[in-house]
Amino acid sequence: MVSIRATRSRYTLLDWVLVLILGLVGVVTLYPVIYIVAISFSDTAYIVQNKVFLWPKGFTLEAYQKIFNDPKIPRAYLNTIIYTTLGTGINLLMTAVAAYPLSRPNFFGRKYFMIAIVLTMFLNGGIIPTYLIVQKLHMIDSIWAIVIPNAIWTMELLILKSFYENMSGSLRESALIDGASEYRILFSIILPLSKPALASIGLFYFMGHWNSFFIPMIYLNDTKLYPLQVVLRDMLFFDSTQQNSLVDQSAITPQAMKNATIFVSMVPVLLVYPFAQKYFAKGIMLGSEKG
Amino acid sequence: MQLTQAELTRQKNPSRLSSVWRHIKQDRQLLILFLPCIVFFILFRYGPIYGLIIAFKDYNVYQGILDSPWVGLEHFRRFFDSPDFWILFRNTLQLGLFTLLWAFPFPILFAVMLNEVRFIRFKKWVQTFSYLPSFLSVVIVSSMIIDFLSPTHGLINELLKAFGFTPTYFLAAPEWFRTIYISTDIWQHMGYDAIIYLAAIAAIDPSLYEAAKVDGASRFHMMRYITIPSIMPTIVIMFILKSGAMFRIGYEKVLLLYSPMTYEVADVFSTYVYRKGLLETNYSYASAVGLFESMIALVMLLLTNFVSKRAGGKGLW
Repeated sequence: MVSIRATRSRYTLLDWVLVLILGLVGVVTLYPVIYIVAISFSDTAYIVQNKVFLWPKGFTLEAYQKIFNDPKIPRAYLNTIIYTTLGTGINLLMTAVAAYPLSRPNFFGRKYFMIAIVLTMFLNGGIIPTYLIVQKLHMIDSIWAIVIPNAIWTMELLILKSFYENMSGSLRESALIDGASEYRILFSIILPLSKPALASIGLFYFMGHWNSFFIPMIYLNDTKLYPLQVVLRDMLFFDSTQQNSLVDQSAITPQAMKNATIFVSMVPVLLVYPFAQKYFAKGIMLGSEKG
Repeated sequence: MQLTQAELTRQKNPSRLSSVWRHIKQDRQLLILFLPCIVFFILFRYGPIYGLIIAFKDYNVYQGILDSPWVGLEHFRRFFDSPDFWILFRNTLQLGLFTLLWAFPFPILFAVMLNEVRFIRFKKWVQTFSYLPSFLSVVIVSSMIIDFLSPTHGLINELLKAFGFTPTYFLAAPEWFRTIYISTDIWQHMGYDAIIYLAAIAAIDPSLYEAAKVDGASRFHMMRYITIPSIMPTIVIMFILKSGAMFRIGYEKVLLLYSPMTYEVADVFSTYVYRKGLLETNYSYASAVGLFESMIALVMLLLTNFVSKRAGGKGLW
């Protein structure tokens, strides 16, 4: 008994080694973000001399003033907000409505629907045929290309379905006896009760839309419609005429402006992510069970 | 009178049809709710699969999918004959395999270490920080990589200079591409992937540890003989999942980080499909490449599943 107490109160070498290693991990994961923020608030003179490491030097808001005065970035920001809000809304509605019938054990053709849905996780046409269909539907250069072709993510659909399945059936049954329609049951009983699950998959959808870059890049040609990530890419990597070349562009867009844009695009993510752990953990667990 | 087979089925069908009809009527509310999902999957998930026939045609926009002329396996032949084929094949396989082998152990290690930390607040902070990078977009992460590796002002090169080495233009050097890709992949996903192992560790029965403690086991012993074996099933499942998805390389990151200078090691099937298909509008050729890629991915998934079942473990189905 004495020995147990001793190991509990006294820190051994192991404890300090762990703290050292994990502290290092923490620093390495966090540092790039701190660095971006520091650069974005720093005076160009210090940045050029490589003097900014941890804290802004010659604190200035100039970069932020510039990016918000240039119409490009506020517009892109607004676009991202619109795409993300509308997209996540459509995602959630479509997924919720689709998962409910699938969760009913006696639903007509349930087995075949499930097979058809799961199959698409392993078989898909790839980007070219998908692109051609979106093109055929005249969605190119419109918000619909962003929000419709990915309105349901299969994994999220399966997660919500298994959540519905695990809900107690008694409320549903008593509603059914009272003569409620399936629509009524779904919208006034099931959905209000599945807020945690909806929040969980909603976060996945939100992050997916907010960070999405490839889909808007291929479907949008009009620069006015670009979301932040695409604008960022153009700003950070090349002037748009020079596709696929990794020329060091530090001279073209000032470092501080680049980093200010990055930081501005990260703000919602930074706000959401500390709260996300609970939901994400749940989501991953459910997802992995399904395989 | 003898009924022919055809007549028999004709007689049987009406009743079966009507019973199907009855079911449909019974479930009509649910079916209406499900309708958007059906439309969605037919249009955007099965539509593209149907659209893959352009891989066997010479697709052009004016004639459309149906009326474009058939060319059989012409595009596949051209692809297999081109020097790109082996480069892409090798790159996709190497990048996928090395990422799997290198990146897989880190989240496990991280979770086990995190679990051993006794400073609770410190532990929470580290964990919270650790999954921040996986919330960042691929554009941001890639730009950070470029920035940190920049030969003119990047931190890594500054450090190299400080220690007397010559700065390297890492992203233009083919021999560095894989290292950069994989190490940053570990950096970005380690914390997030650890969540599932931490959950598995949390589910271990604490009495096992108590008993071990009474028996005088050291913390290393407990890690080795309790924690790791207890989360082994999770590890196996995760490994199957990851190896099944091995070919689904983060092509967005490759797309953002590669350049003509590093094509020889960085170009993978998906980036090639994007370049040939969407940038050069060789729709049919790119579809053929894409089809070949998904076939390999499917074969790999079936293979891993088969192997893991054979090895006595659990498969995915």
